[in-house]
Amino acid sequence: MSTPLLFDRAMLEVKRKRALRRFKPGADFLMHRVAEDLGERLGSVLRQFDMAVALGGVTGHIATMLRASGQTRAVIRADCLWPETVAGTGAISLPDLVCHEDVLPFAAQSLDLVVSGLTLQTVDDLPGVLIQIRRALKPDGLYLAALAGGDTLKELRESFAIAETELTGGLSPRVIPFLDVRDLGGLLQRAGFALPVTDSERLTVRYRSMLDLVADLRAMGASNPLLERSRKPIRRDLLVRTAEVYAERFSDPDGRIRATFQILSASAWAPSDTQQKPARRGSATVRLADALGTKELPTGERP
Amino acid sequence: MADETPDVQSVALPERQKGRVDPKLLELLVCPVTKSLLEYDVARQELVSKAARLAYPIRDGVPIMLPEEARALDD
Repeated sequence: MSTPLLFDRAMLEVKRKRALRRFKPGADFLMHRVAEDLGERLGSVLRQFDMAVALGGVTGHIATMLRASGQTRAVIRADCLWPETVAGTGAISLPDLVCHEDVLPFAAQSLDLVVSGLTLQTVDDLPGVLIQIRRALKPDGLYLAALAGGDTLKELRESFAIAETELTGGLSPRVIPFLDVRDLGGLLQRAGFALPVTDSERLTVRYRSMLDLVADLRAMGASNPLLERSRKPIRRDLLVRTAEVYAERFSDPDGRIRATFQILSASAWAPSDTQQKPARRGSATVRLADALGTKELPTGERP
Repeated sequence: MADETPDVQSVALPERQKGRVDPKLLELLVCPVTKSLLEYDVARQELVSKAARLAYPIRDGVPIMLPEEARALDD
């Protein structure tokens, strides 16, 4: 079975490179936030990790966080961008290894910790990548992830849909499909991870107008990377109308517009015999009714 | 899941000298396409995947594990 291709990988790299080159201070606010959050999640795990990989993330915030955490002996920053592309830009650390984020070059059971921050929302085959990560981890190795989720840019998606239908009578995909938090847990389980925990957080960011939001997305290297995107430059009247619809529907009383970013986070472990597991069915030695101090009633009977 | 090694010092991996790849990093790597073992060609600064018939370059100590950047082996 082949995976449908959603993303234009070459275009993604071009956009990320451009964003780094024309680095706009502050445009990495989501990366900061996500690195900080992943750092806190790591801190709550009372363990040291020998070999850690920071996977993707363009700016290097995750690798820097890991190196400062005191919980890792060695950190490898793996990214699809070359060091010379990243040097002298807004990135805060350089890649040690260049690879595609969805074709990983790590030996089976070679890593103790893998952390990916805002990277895997743009791979075609997320289940496949998760399986590769799980296989690269040693037993009881930890995977920590943050990725953009379902409600991200929902206002922008809706505004484009309304304006484009009005003006052209049709739709072209302008905001990527994002994952739901429930899907993420299921995918981790299917990839063979143990004890997956997922979580979702919504951030509302306010901008003066939709054009400022779009400029920020471009500065993050996050403008439309879909293969099926319209290749024509966006029509000016469409942009103007979309901004109007956005302002009509999603602005605060002070006129500023709201943009939602939903960040899904996950932690999951490579399975190991030392981990807690549910007891085998039927292996209980005490009746539940006794443990609860209540009387057991046959099925269908009401107290 | 507590660990008894609290004196671990966090060090950045790239203590690499110019043009040298960290041996610790090499130990982890396999061919991204076939996930098979790689041979390190020190003279050419390449990681050779016999299974994929590809040689991945190492530039300034950084392995470039991209199939499209690898040299195809023709022999």
